[in-house]
Amino acid sequence: MDATILGFLLLDGLQNGVVYGLLALSLVLVFAVTRVILVPIGELLMFAPLSLVWLLEGKLPGTLWLALALGLAWALLSRGRGALLPLLGTAGLGLLFLLARGVPPLAYPAVVLLVVYLGVATYRVFFQPMREATVLAFLIMAVGLHVAYMGLGLVFFGPEQFRPEPLLRGEVVVGLSWQGVLVLLFALLAVLGLYLFFRLSLFGKALLAAAENRLGARLSGIPPEEAGMVAFGIASLLAGLSGLLLAPLINAAYFMGFMLGLKGFVAAILGGLSSYPMALLGALLVGFFESFTSFYASAYKEALVFLLLVPALFYQSLRARAVEE
Amino acid sequence: MRYLWFLLLLLPLLLSPFPYYLTLLNFFALSAMVALSLLVLTGLAGMTSFAQAAFMGMGAYATALLTVKAGFSPWLGLLAGLGLSLLLALVLGGLTVRLKGHFLPLSTIAWQVALYILAGNLVGLTGGHTGMTDLPPLVLLGLPLDTGFRYALFSLLLLAFLILALDNLRHSRLGRALLALRGDALAAASFGVDPARLRLQAFLLSGAIAGLAGFLYAHFLRFVNPTPFSLEASIKYLVMAVAGGVGSIPGVLLGAAFFTGLEDWLKDLLPLLLGRQGNYETIGYGLILALILILAPRGLWPLLERRLPRRERGLPRAEPLPLQAPAGPRGEVVLAVEGLRKAFGGLLAVAGVSFALRRGEILALIGPNGAGKTTTFNLITGAISPDGGRVVLLGREITGLPPHRVHALGLGRTFQHPHLFPELSVLENAALGTHLGTRAGFFQVLLGLHRKEEARALATAYRALKRVGLEGLALERAERLSVGQQRLLEIARLLASGATVLLLDEPAAGLRAGEKRELAHLLRSLAREGYTVLIVDHDMDLIMGLADRVVVMNYGEKIAEGTPKEVQKDPLVRAAYLGEEAA
Amino acid sequence: MRRWLAVALVLALSASAQEVLKVGVVVSATGPAASLGIPERNTFLMLQEMLDRTGGVAGRKVQFVILDDASDTTQAVRNTRRLVEEGVVAIVGTTTTPASLGMIPVVAEAKVPMISLAASKDIIHPVDAQRFWVFKTPQTEELMARAIVADMVARGVKTVGYIGFNDAYGEGWARFFEAEARAKGIQVVVSERYARTDTSVTGQVLRIIARRPEAVLIGASGTPAVLPQRTLKERGYTGLIYQTHGVANPDFLRVGGQDVEGTLLPAGPILVAEQLPTGYPTKRVALDYIQRYEAKYGIGSYSTFGAHAWDAWLILRPALERALRRADPKDLAAFRAVLRDEIEATRNLAATHGIFTFSKEDHLGLRFEDTAVMVRVEGGRWKLERTFR
Repeated sequence: MDATILGFLLLDGLQNGVVYGLLALSLVLVFAVTRVILVPIGELLMFAPLSLVWLLEGKLPGTLWLALALGLAWALLSRGRGALLPLLGTAGLGLLFLLARGVPPLAYPAVVLLVVYLGVATYRVFFQPMREATVLAFLIMAVGLHVAYMGLGLVFFGPEQFRPEPLLRGEVVVGLSWQGVLVLLFALLAVLGLYLFFRLSLFGKALLAAAENRLGARLSGIPPEEAGMVAFGIASLLAGLSGLLLAPLINAAYFMGFMLGLKGFVAAILGGLSSYPMALLGALLVGFFESFTSFYASAYKEALVFLLLVPALFYQSLRARAVEE
Repeated sequence: MRYLWFLLLLLPLLLSPFPYYLTLLNFFALSAMVALSLLVLTGLAGMTSFAQAAFMGMGAYATALLTVKAGFSPWLGLLAGLGLSLLLALVLGGLTVRLKGHFLPLSTIAWQVALYILAGNLVGLTGGHTGMTDLPPLVLLGLPLDTGFRYALFSLLLLAFLILALDNLRHSRLGRALLALRGDALAAASFGVDPARLRLQAFLLSGAIAGLAGFLYAHFLRFVNPTPFSLEASIKYLVMAVAGGVGSIPGVLLGAAFFTGLEDWLKDLLPLLLGRQGNYETIGYGLILALILILAPRGLWPLLERRLPRRERGLPRAEPLPLQAPAGPRGEVVLAVEGLRKAFGGLLAVAGVSFALRRGEILALIGPNGAGKTTTFNLITGAISPDGGRVVLLGREITGLPPHRVHALGLGRTFQHPHLFPELSVLENAALGTHLGTRAGFFQVLLGLHRKEEARALATAYRALKRVGLEGLALERAERLSVGQQRLLEIARLLASGATVLLLDEPAAGLRAGEKRELAHLLRSLAREGYTVLIVDHDMDLIMGLADRVVVMNYGEKIAEGTPKEVQKDPLVRAAYLGEEAA
Repeated sequence: MRRWLAVALVLALSASAQEVLKVGVVVSATGPAASLGIPERNTFLMLQEMLDRTGGVAGRKVQFVILDDASDTTQAVRNTRRLVEEGVVAIVGTTTTPASLGMIPVVAEAKVPMISLAASKDIIHPVDAQRFWVFKTPQTEELMARAIVADMVARGVKTVGYIGFNDAYGEGWARFFEAEARAKGIQVVVSERYARTDTSVTGQVLRIIARRPEAVLIGASGTPAVLPQRTLKERGYTGLIYQTHGVANPDFLRVGGQDVEGTLLPAGPILVAEQLPTGYPTKRVALDYIQRYEAKYGIGSYSTFGAHAWDAWLILRPALERALRRADPKDLAAFRAVLRDEIEATRNLAATHGIFTFSKEDHLGLRFEDTAVMVRVEGGRWKLERTFR
């Protein structure tokens, strides 16, 4: 183990860690506002680059049809004016995709919007109707959706890996490509953006309020449904953008999202599912831990990352307020 | 009636001309067993686990290693499999059952994934993803179980026995305790249930059942690799149990049958419909699970059950357990509270309170809101521990003891909001009180050896119900009682436990006038029999008419003590309640 | 689509349809090995069409019962049991080594002949009581490893690093390659493993680079084989990179792009059929297969893996014809045994990947000289580098 190798491993850990961090932030946000542990976040992450590959080849990806189906369900569930948003959304999305087939640069915002729409629609169709369900029921639902979305990913995109073109080519230094730098920058901006949003904007503060106390927030005029949709929307946005930036580095395939999401989830747990800074730190820890164990004990690195979860959960449970389930 | 489950054994005979369906039947039997393990863990004990497939894997790999690598008999493999599953459950459970709420299932996910990865990577030991082949068939009484037909008979027989055992569990003190624990750990603890220990035992049982299923799986397929013991598999079993209805035996069996058939049917049908190959069944699972959670959150079985004629269990006719009637001279001090103190941060909630409770009397503890009555109450019953002072019950010091220990010494409490268990019948709720008076453990219960004791426990509960006047509703589900009746049920539960010192927390809250009269009448007659009652309440009319003596608290201190008349005239009391002008 | 309905109907009426010869096929049409299994399945679909048109074998209809094992061994074992119970006369499959190994005890116990489409030598060697029933068509890792080592020797390579799957495929390759390399004086200085579904192999690659081998062999297959190669390039590795024949499909080139230029790999001659010298014994059969496959599925769609399936049928068909002369399929057990004998009796059969000659000890039947060529990736295409004749 010399200095260059150490450097490589640290860089690698950092690169992976920030992605886990973004996922962890999304998970904590969604959990704080809606009590849902967003297991399918990995699938949402992968849908972005996979849909992009399809669109750049001039084909309409299956995810568009999924969005349409969910949008329809959403419209049917809402009454009156509530159905306007999903209908406009699906129409707009469809139009954008048709346009993007001819205008490649449009494809990037198109798939991001698609993933955001999918995320928000998922909340509206599957989670919002589960009124006062327990965290556990939400978890089971989330797991069910993860399984369904992963299966759909296989149907839509097939079993093989794809490699979208990186936005930036070339290397800064051996081991760190410009694309990697882009990922790091994006992570930094996203964290900063979230921080400002929660601290400074009224809506952000309202979101935090809704997380603390649903009834109180509702009484103050903040509808929890709206808060839920915004939380899911932000989480999907982060996931989709992360997926787009990451895919050129690791390839994209329908099954990869789950592992990434699971590691983001480990990081979120290390932050107690409630603290953003701790989740970020946890993510970096997971990234470095994974990097070094892959060097020393490559066969067991995944198992070790998960075993990391156990003492974390234990610690969290001791600290946590007794949650009445 | 329960022996009707043995009719399952007819299925292999019916299906014997179709070898493919026999295979399916075997997979149903094995899935049903894992689903039953979830009945114990989730349905009864309220712990969701995403790791049942890992326990199956333990059973399967243990027998594979012993039979393939070491050449031992499969029955030894069974022992090893059960042993390993129990060991895993002990280690995992020991850490996991203390986790609160959603942390528990999250940690099971962690274990499940970690074990799966290990199974795939320890190539020298487990053969990695290639797995181990050539497991020998089971041989029963000289007959090798190497055809689908024979194996189906065997596994369905085991399934039927398991069903009987778990039915025994459900209708036993342990079943009640588990359901109580699931609904309300604090209330369960107040009846002598040790939450961590009972949860661990449930975890062990659940792990053993899943391990048994894994053993059977290994000797059916005669091949073991990590894939059937993955997180996806665990999710599949959880889906089966939850979708069918994880709270009941028919529910989980329905779920297992439904999904075993569905899985195979989807595998064949969907490619036909959609015109190309693909693992569409996972999509189907996910969507069906989502639909069931939204439309039928308690599973499919409760929907069906409503249409079936209800089976009435008979009223208990056995001899009730011998319970100590309250004995001892009237007026003797049964409970002494001396200088009790408790501070929460900067707030001194209880500041040196002392009083004594005498046998056969009804003592009321009153005071304005925030006076510290409920805190005092909780200090006495052990729900919280005091910073200073003593509590002595029947001559024994009980200061700081946890609720279930306090209860064991003869003191019982009710709660401000009735902590009843709506899924249990009124009789079963009352029978919860007998938990400490009965002794059957898991083995006895599963084997059905607890029947006599159980009958007596139910009879005791019935007698308690008669005492409070609820015997007519004994077989109804507790959720159908009115508030007043729920209070009476709580008291009946206490009586069934043999507690002679009863602490009632706001028993009149939410009661109508008629119900209050009934309650007062009951309490007075109990006091006449020698029970001692401490009652905390706000209803002045009730208190003044009912209590023999009254203790008044304000700002954490006792400000007056005496008969109701004396206390009513006390200027401090009037000032506390009515403000300075009235004094 | 109609075909599946037909299959379903016949399955339902199987009891009465005794004239039909059923051949079971298990392939990994989904899951990580799908890029290998899909062309195999397509080949059998194509064969089914051909047989329906020409009336089958020796006047009997032939029906392929095709099942997908999703690249999972348990599924493969279940499928095998199902096929056996449905009365197939033989089973072709499956795509991957671990799953094929899992199927062996099942076919042995049921006494059904099996022709595997997977790579490892362990599938057919040694020919014990179980492998008595098992044959295979793809080249073993041993043969392909010989090709790689021969090429390395020709280039004067002395030190090699290895990174492969942590399952039977990668383990098998590690074993056979190391043995062959050592025998020819090449040292394997580092040997790493990774999982098919890994998204990063940085740690492993760093360890390889630290030992500075002159060449690296990647023991993987399908698109997951790109990851270590790309990582090696990114970390500045400049030596030779070899892949196994498991990457000989268009998806590898598509996903690998620039990063896999210059890769050396052994392959069955069919991969570069047009570039083979005239007189190469398998050239004609290979071109025939390519033409038929591309006619149905499009230009450039054929793959070496589909060709293994074609070879299996090239062997099975004459064996069936000979067996039908000796036994009646109505007595299924006897027929299966006779069919097995006839498969084993195959001699000098020219197929797409080589010339097959089975014997009691050899259920692979391929000769090194005809069955392996070295190929290089050039300009996103396969270029014939050398043959071993």
